[in-house]
Amino acid sequence: MGLKLKDAYIVDARRTPQAKAGLDLKDVPAPFLGSYLITKMMDEHQIPTDQVDEVIMGNVGSPAKYPNIGRVIALEAGLHKKTSGYSVHRNCASGMEALSHAFLKVASGRSDLIFAGGVESMSQMPLIYSKEMTELFTQLMKSKTIPDKLKAISTFRPPFLSPIIAIVQGLTDPFCGLNMGQTAELLARELNISREEQDAWALRSHQKLIKARDEGRLDDEIVPLAIGEKLSKLLSIDIGPRADSSLEKLAKMKPYFDKKSGTVTVANSCPITDGGSALMICSEEALKKYNLEPMARIVDYHFHGLEPERMGMGPLHAMDGAFKRTNLKLEDMDLMEINEAFAAQIIAVKKGFTERKVADFFNIGTLWGEIDDEKLNVNGGAIALGHPVGSTGSRLIVTLAHELKKRKAKYGIASLCIGGGQGGACIIENLVK
Amino acid sequence: MTSEKSGNKISIEFKNKIAYIGFGYNDSKSMTVLDEETLNELDQYADQLKIKANELDGIIFFSHKKNCFLAGADINLIASMNTEAEAAEGATLGQKIFSKIDDLKTPTVCCVHGVCMGGGLEFALSCKNIISGEDNKTSLALPEVKLGLIPGFGGTYRLPLRVGLPTALEMILSGKTIKGRKAKRIGLSAEVYPYEKLVEFAPLYFKNKTVNKEKKLFEKIEDLAQDNMITKKIIFQKARENVLKKTKGLYQAPLRILETMESGMGKSRNSYLEMESSSFGELCVSKQSQNLQHIFFMNERSKKYSGATSDNDLTLKRGAVLGAGTMGGGIAWLMADNDMFPIMKDLNEKALNLGLKQASSNFSGAVKRKKISLDEFERKMHSISAQLNFSGFKNTDLIIEAVVEKMEIKKSVFTEVENYVSDKCLITSNTSSLSVEEMASSLKNSSRFAGLHFFNPVHRMPLVEIITHENIAPETISSLYKWCIKAKKTPVVVKDGPGFLVNRILMPFLNEAGYMLEEGVSIEDLDKACENFGFPMGPCRLLDEVGIDVGSKVAKILYDGFGKRMKPSTFLNKMIDKSLLGRKTNAGFYLYDEKGKVESVNDEVVSMLPTKNIKLSETEIQMRVVLPMINEASFVLDDKIVNSSEEVDLGLIFGIGFPPFRGGLLRYADSLGGDKIKDLLNKYSESVDNERFKISPYLSNLIDKKIKLYEN
Repeated sequence: MGLKLKDAYIVDARRTPQAKAGLDLKDVPAPFLGSYLITKMMDEHQIPTDQVDEVIMGNVGSPAKYPNIGRVIALEAGLHKKTSGYSVHRNCASGMEALSHAFLKVASGRSDLIFAGGVESMSQMPLIYSKEMTELFTQLMKSKTIPDKLKAISTFRPPFLSPIIAIVQGLTDPFCGLNMGQTAELLARELNISREEQDAWALRSHQKLIKARDEGRLDDEIVPLAIGEKLSKLLSIDIGPRADSSLEKLAKMKPYFDKKSGTVTVANSCPITDGGSALMICSEEALKKYNLEPMARIVDYHFHGLEPERMGMGPLHAMDGAFKRTNLKLEDMDLMEINEAFAAQIIAVKKGFTERKVADFFNIGTLWGEIDDEKLNVNGGAIALGHPVGSTGSRLIVTLAHELKKRKAKYGIASLCIGGGQGGACIIENLVK
Repeated sequence: MTSEKSGNKISIEFKNKIAYIGFGYNDSKSMTVLDEETLNELDQYADQLKIKANELDGIIFFSHKKNCFLAGADINLIASMNTEAEAAEGATLGQKIFSKIDDLKTPTVCCVHGVCMGGGLEFALSCKNIISGEDNKTSLALPEVKLGLIPGFGGTYRLPLRVGLPTALEMILSGKTIKGRKAKRIGLSAEVYPYEKLVEFAPLYFKNKTVNKEKKLFEKIEDLAQDNMITKKIIFQKARENVLKKTKGLYQAPLRILETMESGMGKSRNSYLEMESSSFGELCVSKQSQNLQHIFFMNERSKKYSGATSDNDLTLKRGAVLGAGTMGGGIAWLMADNDMFPIMKDLNEKALNLGLKQASSNFSGAVKRKKISLDEFERKMHSISAQLNFSGFKNTDLIIEAVVEKMEIKKSVFTEVENYVSDKCLITSNTSSLSVEEMASSLKNSSRFAGLHFFNPVHRMPLVEIITHENIAPETISSLYKWCIKAKKTPVVVKDGPGFLVNRILMPFLNEAGYMLEEGVSIEDLDKACENFGFPMGPCRLLDEVGIDVGSKVAKILYDGFGKRMKPSTFLNKMIDKSLLGRKTNAGFYLYDEKGKVESVNDEVVSMLPTKNIKLSETEIQMRVVLPMINEASFVLDDKIVNSSEEVDLGLIFGIGFPPFRGGLLRYADSLGGDKIKDLLNKYSESVDNERFKISPYLSNLIDKKIKLYEN
């Protein structure tokens, strides 16, 4: 017994150019990484501004100024004020979580037109005062008289000022205490993944992305936006991929997370990045009403948890679950987008598909088979492109939908590992023949 | 509860020993003004309240309207004053009423929200306390100076007492508006509240809080410093210098205000007020004030579309601009500022960046002047979609083309864009010189097409010429007109013809300047004479600003269109040959630094001019540039480019900044008198040039019949 599900269509899918944190997108506050994408799609498909049911946005480093960024984005996009909006947080998969909400709402017949996606300005993630400093401020605010104030101030010690960087804290697992890089080191050690293998994967990522960029393969998915302190310059390409990357250069990097014996470097991991992505999800009725051509259909999704210290293997569980749920197999997939949080981690996932021992260790019954490199991350991945945490989950599907369309292919799967020990996966079917 | 009978204009009610007196009673107009009837009722209430003084705890004044407290004295009343004495007497009458309010023994609190201007604020100041609305809809000002007047109901006496001399002078001399919370910051209101709560909280201010409020130390020092004669003298001195710098001494009202306030220092209230009212009387009937009042009324009239109305008017919600240059960027700014989520399209990213830069610099200026917040800056900038394709054009209601001034290119742009827009979308061209009629021919549906000529810089110049053509639909004109008004621009509907309205009249001014240079008049003499006439800049500076090449191109178009009387001086071509194109090349008649500020006259240009210098008097220079303008304006009227002298004047004041205190070009012509104009034109056509100064048959005919241009 279950809900009778209707089809949910992806009508359009766009993303911002992505730029490493602190670079070109640093002056763009998070809402504006999403709102203009929605305006663009509304225009493109001539949807009246009062006809959107909901805006759902993934976001991790929720800026203090914009609590519930989903609603802020709906308003900034110029949608009618009655349009409801909310935000979701599933760490690295927040964008995919937003999409899964949209899928369920449309599939269940509750909604007809939803914008879902994610935004992240890692440049503008807050610095947080230490607990001691926060207490001092509280005391200061409470004290009414000058002696009281002086007393509060006298408790000040210089170390109070050393800020806690929200990103650093956010990337450390509260349960196992390892930071994300350390979880990648663990997988590399346990599955015997060499430094060379990781560097080679990183190089591949840069090369594929540069090639795709130069050939204009990303132009359909990227919407340029105004950047800079004065917002007076247009950015239309991703900032981060290196055309001059080489195995020699990569080999020179020092391990970052385990400085003595590690293999994970900042160059074979994804950089922290700013960016946003959004998809327009419609029901059959909305397609008819606005005379829209769908790009793709969302087939289904799956989220799955595992040990936090091995979070990098999340995609193995998630894809396994998604295949089972949909009765599809690895061979059915024409394209795959697996997020490259760490080269070690994506190589580990591939091993889980072919090596019995690894699959058993993670309690995966089916050996799904060898992933064809010609189908995997064909336009590069997060090592070159970066990983704006709130957005990547939906960004992968934006990229996947456009590439499936270009190839006139059928099924594609997007998957990613999630800090805290989870994996997410989503299968879509291209409808553009 | 006792209830008194309310009047026609003001309500009155007594409740719990409090009198509630409400303006804007029984009034359907959105703005309440102090007309004769209102003033009379107020006078009667003041007498009643004085009698009841012992029965009352306090008196609260408020407005029945959400967006207006009192918009000032009825300007029609001011305009109807015929003599100095009559006007002064009118002021005295108002002063007496306000003084009665001031002298009431009962505490008075004035609850101000919405517009509170001129006489309205002067009334509020006569209450013991003002409390006001906290949002920006609450705006307080004494804007009389803008009409060439002095506040005449005691404002110049009471405002310094409330906010201190320097702030009062700043407000009175500039006429600037104080909004929302700022009223409290400068001490004008005792407190601000959400407007719905004002009356409820007013009784708290029956005790005179402004006096009881313990002053901070630095405020005490400030008071002490301001409260002696010598400091006051210095403050007046400084204010006078500022006024002279800003107005070049051309405006008499601010100087008269300073004089009145300074010589009234230390005088008793009654003798001060007497001085104020006599100054008011004098200014009220002065030529300048009459001219400024004329412009005020003209501007008000222009806010209503007077042409053929249509039931099919379109609301222009989404906009797009084609071409992202300085003008394109400026137009994108205007659209973004009006929440139109504009699309700005050009052929390459470099051009788009140029447009973004222009829009950004306009918005940044507004941030600097605290007109918008940084958040609004971000929102509005991000609402501009800069792009290379036509995506989204189907959703737009208004396209403004601002690509290069080449007919063939513009035509192909229109043919192309028509494929991407909906049937209802209006398509317009921001051409400054090309034939709108010819452009219209490139469209399948030309009834939706019009010229929409903005003046550079878009954020500064209010004028927009709406240029019609044979096939235009009435709703195209009326919809554009209404859009301009909504975007706070001043539209003028003009018929197609070379140079349309403003550039056509401007060109003889620039041409004549070129000829005078060739005769040996110096650049400085020329520009200075024109600035002293009141033009914002002289012809040489203006040409630098426009671009020597652009000026020359437009000159040629007009010469082709109108023949000999528009024959341009050849001097500009010499400058173009040497790539001295004006401010954009940092060198034209003047040299400019990197920020575009004038450094000095360009010696290279001086060396190209005749070595023998001739000296013309300022008046002579002024007449030589202004007379051809008047003459050309009469051709414009004859050709029915616009329908009235008023529209000519509106165009020149808001398009090129023709000195407002002169009331407009043709009003100035009327003040010169027909005979003088004819004599001078005849004189110059003999002594200078027969073609350029040949009086138009139209003008000649009017003068012969002794008909003024404005009576025509």
